[in-house]
Amino acid sequence: MRKRWLELSVGLMIVAGVSALIALALQVSGGNMSRNTQNYAITALFENAAGLGPKAKVTMAGVTVGEVVAVGIDPNALMAQVQMEIYGQVDYLSIDTSASILTSGLLGEKYVGLTVGAEDDVLVDGDVIEDTQSALVLEELIGQFLLNFGDNT
Amino acid sequence: MINFIADLGAIAVGKLVRIGEALLMLLQALVVRPKVSSFSRLIQQLYVVGVQSLIIMLVSALFIGMVLGLQGYTLLSAYGSEQAVGQMVALTLVRELSPVVAALLFAGRAGSALTAEIGLMKATEQLASLEMFGIDPLHRIVAPRFWAGMISLPLLVAIFSLVGIYGGHLVAVDWLGVYSGSYWGNMQQAVDFNEDVLNGMIKAFVFAFLISWTALYQGYSCTPTSQGISAATTRTVVYSSLAILGFDFILTALMFGGTV
Amino acid sequence: MMLEGIIDIRNISFYRGDRAVFKNLNCTIAAGKITAIMGPSGSGKTTLLRLIGGQLKPSQGQVYLFGQDIALLSRKQLNHLRSRMGVLFQSGALFTDLSVFENVAFPLREHLNLSSEDLYNQVLLKLEAVGLRGARGLMPAQLSGGMARRVALARAVAIEPELILYDEPFAGQDPIAMAVLQRLIKHLNTQMRLTSVLVSHDIAEACAISDQVILLGEGRVLAQGSPAELQASDDPAVKQFIHGEADGVIPFHFAAPPLQEELKGLNHD
Repeated sequence: MRKRWLELSVGLMIVAGVSALIALALQVSGGNMSRNTQNYAITALFENAAGLGPKAKVTMAGVTVGEVVAVGIDPNALMAQVQMEIYGQVDYLSIDTSASILTSGLLGEKYVGLTVGAEDDVLVDGDVIEDTQSALVLEELIGQFLLNFGDNT
Repeated sequence: MINFIADLGAIAVGKLVRIGEALLMLLQALVVRPKVSSFSRLIQQLYVVGVQSLIIMLVSALFIGMVLGLQGYTLLSAYGSEQAVGQMVALTLVRELSPVVAALLFAGRAGSALTAEIGLMKATEQLASLEMFGIDPLHRIVAPRFWAGMISLPLLVAIFSLVGIYGGHLVAVDWLGVYSGSYWGNMQQAVDFNEDVLNGMIKAFVFAFLISWTALYQGYSCTPTSQGISAATTRTVVYSSLAILGFDFILTALMFGGTV
Repeated sequence: MMLEGIIDIRNISFYRGDRAVFKNLNCTIAAGKITAIMGPSGSGKTTLLRLIGGQLKPSQGQVYLFGQDIALLSRKQLNHLRSRMGVLFQSGALFTDLSVFENVAFPLREHLNLSSEDLYNQVLLKLEAVGLRGARGLMPAQLSGGMARRVALARAVAIEPELILYDEPFAGQDPIAMAVLQRLIKHLNTQMRLTSVLVSHDIAEACAISDQVILLGEGRVLAQGSPAELQASDDPAVKQFIHGEADGVIPFHFAAPPLQEELKGLNHD
């Protein structure tokens, strides 16, 4: 009788532990478990990539379609080069898609927002997005505002 | 002055010798062909080491999760970001608190019990008795307890994380009014299985190894008197705790140091 | 070199740290007899027992068990020898998580391949021999010291070894328990044709049942012979032990400078 309880409780503990792990996988971490091999890489060049870093989201129409892998300098163009990994299922980004660096909330983190264009051909692995809009830097905004304000008076 | 340095050297050498002995004990205990009969001993030890630690884990996890929810809400509402409390609770628990706190509790509860039990078996000559019956006490007594520790703690850490997250939900959503959808939604976006959950589990395995090894060695090598057993039990808790915290830093730096 | 007895101890020295517990000790334990190893505290009686059982290795010299040098044996061979020998530890050393029945069944399960019926009967017979058949369902924590020791004895003889070692079997026992143990030791030795070696400092009890007595002291054998021979001995060391004198060859005072020098408040210089 005692032995039954012993084995039963050990079994229950193991089941509970494994289910906890599964729950953590699905409920807590959103289930993005594997690096999907159908994901493809695209790059975008920006004048100013201030605040954007690796692991930032890449969205389209507000939906996450990938993430930023690395932010570096393109030595030829002397611009910020942002490497992104886009999910395999998202295969409808036209070649004239534009990319902007946006801020989530007023003091929030930076992310990349994509807007699809009108062309029929789509972006594939290795393509570069040319139509880009840089990050909003607060100081430049204020400078611009003061300039405009100065003009008007 | 020379004597002082010499003494210091002697202490260091002594510690190294002890670690070497501990390693030998472990190797001798684990290098064995598994038998069917050893399985039932493992089950027995899983009960003593794992199941009997469940209550303390569940209660602690619940309270820690609740405190995290409360503190998190208070801190985040200063920035208008209460909705992020879900991901704060989850990341804190899964990456750090679950493995570390569960391990510290485990060292105190199960680790000290293991040391005391084996120390007592040594003092009452039960270990010598087994030897005289031609049975290696390392295989019969030490090995099942080691594997029980290695299996139990990671399971307990997973349970700890889940219960803690639920505790946070209890406070943040049910009590303080955070929207349930944001609690889980933000959490799911922020917590990555490979990066966060799996790394936390790796920590759990490392801690399980350290605690089990320390507890079993201290019990096996203690002076077989009541004072010796008491000293060994204390050493288990202290050494395990220090090892957990030290390795936590090393592992955290390795795993999370790259991303900033 | 003829190995005469079931246990032969040749020129062994054993050191504990810097202290020599034994120096060039020689003795022989004859088969089929009850031999008592006696001596004052610290003379190394229990150490000798551990050397015989192979739990300790001598710094020098050889211990021959059943004619084999135990230092040369592999672990497996040593374990095989150990299955021919039973040990009764001072504290009984019953396995606290097993019942009385399971404790006695333990060596049977480990070394023999009996059917569950045969095992059951064997356990009952051994418990019957020590008079505790009715206690077979109890746990060790529920037994008195004397009963625990008797169960441990049943366990030690369970697989019917050829040799049995007793570590201080009479220590701390009440007169009835002592009489019971004496009877059991003698009875088992004759009935099962064992060789018994007991370590004790209860002179009266040990001498009453032993055929041979080995008296240890100062790291060597002080005297060896039948109990009667030792009682009649003129050797001062033997006399002090056998007749229980407080002071003699083994001094009462621990080594120290003269008392006058150590007392405070007196004028020295």
